[in-house]
Amino acid sequence: MSTPLSQALATLRRRHGEGVIRSGDTLSGVEAWPTGLPILDQLLTPGGLPVGRVSLLAAAPGASGRLTLLQALAAAASRERVAVYLDLVGSLDPGYLADLGADLTALLVVRPPSGRWGEGLSMARSLVAAGASWLAVALSGAEPGSSPRSSSGWEHRLSILVESVATRRAVCLVSATSPPPLALGHAASLTLECAADGWEEAHGDVLGLRTRLTVVKSKVSAPGETAVLLLRYPRTFAAAEAVGRPAVVDLPLTAEATDVPAAAAG
Amino acid sequence: MGDFRFLCARFPHLALVVTWRRHPELRTEPVVVGGAPELRLPVLAASASALACGVRPGQPLREAQQRCPGAAFVPAGEEEVARLRTELLARLYRLAPAVEVGDETAWCDLTGRHAAHPDGTGWAVAIARSINELLDADDIAVGVAASRLVAEVAARQSGSRRIRRVAAGEEAAFLAPLPLSVLPLDPAVAARLAALGLDCVGAVANLSAADLQRQFGPAGMDLWRRVRGGDGREEWRPGGGVDQPGMPRQLGERIVLEGGTGDLEALRFAVHRCALELGDRLRRRGCRAAAVTLVCELEDAEPSGLRITPLQPPGGGAELWPVALELLAGLPLTAPVTAVRLEVTGLEPGAGRQVDLWRGGDAAGEEIGGAAARLRARFGGTAVRRAELTVDPGDLPERRFRWAEPVAVEVDGDGRGRRASGPAPGVAREPVPPGTPAAVMPALRR
Repeated sequence: MSTPLSQALATLRRRHGEGVIRSGDTLSGVEAWPTGLPILDQLLTPGGLPVGRVSLLAAAPGASGRLTLLQALAAAASRERVAVYLDLVGSLDPGYLADLGADLTALLVVRPPSGRWGEGLSMARSLVAAGASWLAVALSGAEPGSSPRSSSGWEHRLSILVESVATRRAVCLVSATSPPPLALGHAASLTLECAADGWEEAHGDVLGLRTRLTVVKSKVSAPGETAVLLLRYPRTFAAAEAVGRPAVVDLPLTAEATDVPAAAAG
Repeated sequence: MGDFRFLCARFPHLALVVTWRRHPELRTEPVVVGGAPELRLPVLAASASALACGVRPGQPLREAQQRCPGAAFVPAGEEEVARLRTELLARLYRLAPAVEVGDETAWCDLTGRHAAHPDGTGWAVAIARSINELLDADDIAVGVAASRLVAEVAARQSGSRRIRRVAAGEEAAFLAPLPLSVLPLDPAVAARLAALGLDCVGAVANLSAADLQRQFGPAGMDLWRRVRGGDGREEWRPGGGVDQPGMPRQLGERIVLEGGTGDLEALRFAVHRCALELGDRLRRRGCRAAAVTLVCELEDAEPSGLRITPLQPPGGGAELWPVALELLAGLPLTAPVTAVRLEVTGLEPGAGRQVDLWRGGDAAGEEIGGAAARLRARFGGTAVRRAELTVDPGDLPERRFRWAEPVAVEVDGDGRGRRASGPAPGVAREPVPPGTPAAVMPALRR
């Protein structure tokens, strides 16, 4: 016996296709892009950065490791796909990215001539719409020329970018200073707060920076989890001992710290 | 590596097959193709028994005779070889959408599903049978893998009349026990790896990308990718797609406004009509435009025009109309407008285009390259770039790299095709010079 509801469902399916209405239990879960760093993947349940959503790395001004982490993940992504690095800070050093193991031929660096966020976001959106499936965005502290009272419309461009990221099933990781702009905070499905946890030293040399990561917002898993990573700085000219030395040292330095290879290659 | 499947078939040199067709009695004899041994010519191909005697392609014919005195020396039938190659190409095109045929190797794209051969193995078998029927040769070896490189190695490792399939994701495991000589490596890199005691692919695959890049510079990344079964990205050149024949270079629509008008609503209406008509023509031809120009002809004044490179190339009226509206908003109008004309240039196939499969790229790479080229055309050459490590970095950190274009873009006069997406780089909007001829526009009078 057909009810008005079943008739309406049949009409919608006939008009728009079978897949337009499905029961909740048939929907697939959130897809994730594994970072290759087990402790980070574990923190970012379900197993990495969410695909088709915007993730945010936020940190207070000062050394926190968020840009190094952003660049290390972008470097890892460039080895498997075409990645885009939107450099709104204007301080990207490709040599450092190469030290992190990036495939520079597959990494497009985008710098809007005006430095405006809106322009950069629309440029990034064009590349995502064309098929670039991994996007890293390094935001400056504040948009140049903007004032707290006026908006240059970058929020609208951000919403268009978010839509493209969702449509094209791309991974988007944004790095911003804390507190992040309101629109960005709303748009992000996952927010990681970075904070420096101290330098890692050996024999008087600084080996890297320990960074404490806290999931402060997550639409894909439970927030509140914390992990400590060691961001090991690459040694550019240490070529003599490079070959044969494993890049991934899987030895936790403390009970809760694990080594994030500057070159997250394996 | 994506969801690609490539088939590589290795067969005897086509010149040898032609020789066997002409002289069936030579099938069991050592044969050297290239000409008479008195000629100062190189060996083009040799049969297996001649190869066993030490004859090699490229060797002088005289030396080949010394190594294999009993061999039959036959001239290369170039016309017959070309005919056979065309025949093979036509056969393979019936089975695969993208095909490349060489003298000893054929490549087919097995990505996706074939209507008649839904099973990938059956598809590969059908292709192998088709090649075998045409060439009638015993030693045809086939490899199927997710990358061109691994497919070729699999074909080399495969026995005669056998198909070697490498499952997706198992490329690195397949390559690991093989010697490094199976990979196309720079001799200097190969020698250095040998000096370090790395003699098989798996030993190099255990090293990280950063380590290899530190040791070998840019070649290190290629090596890192190759040992995992990836194709060389140094050949990643989006934009090399095949142009469709007969594609017009530009299209235009023109509407005459009787008596001239300065009414913005009337202009908007006319431009809208132009955009819809032009978009319809674009859609019918299955192409899209890299650049859009709007020109308003003014009463007793020079025409005023603007050109723009849209970030998304329009391929229909709905996409063309916002671009035209943006142009209209930016056009300075100092006198009543007597006619509007809308032109689209840099036309390229919109869909169903043959992609540039054989240069290590893919359709997505081409799309990204095209988008990057459009951004550079609109925002300037520094808007989208990629970095390259320099060979001799020196001491300063900023000398370790140099900026380069994201893709190899060739720009011709009017920005035609993907290789030339848009007008001259660095120009966001170009005013159209007064008196620009209507070119190929049909003089539509309404």
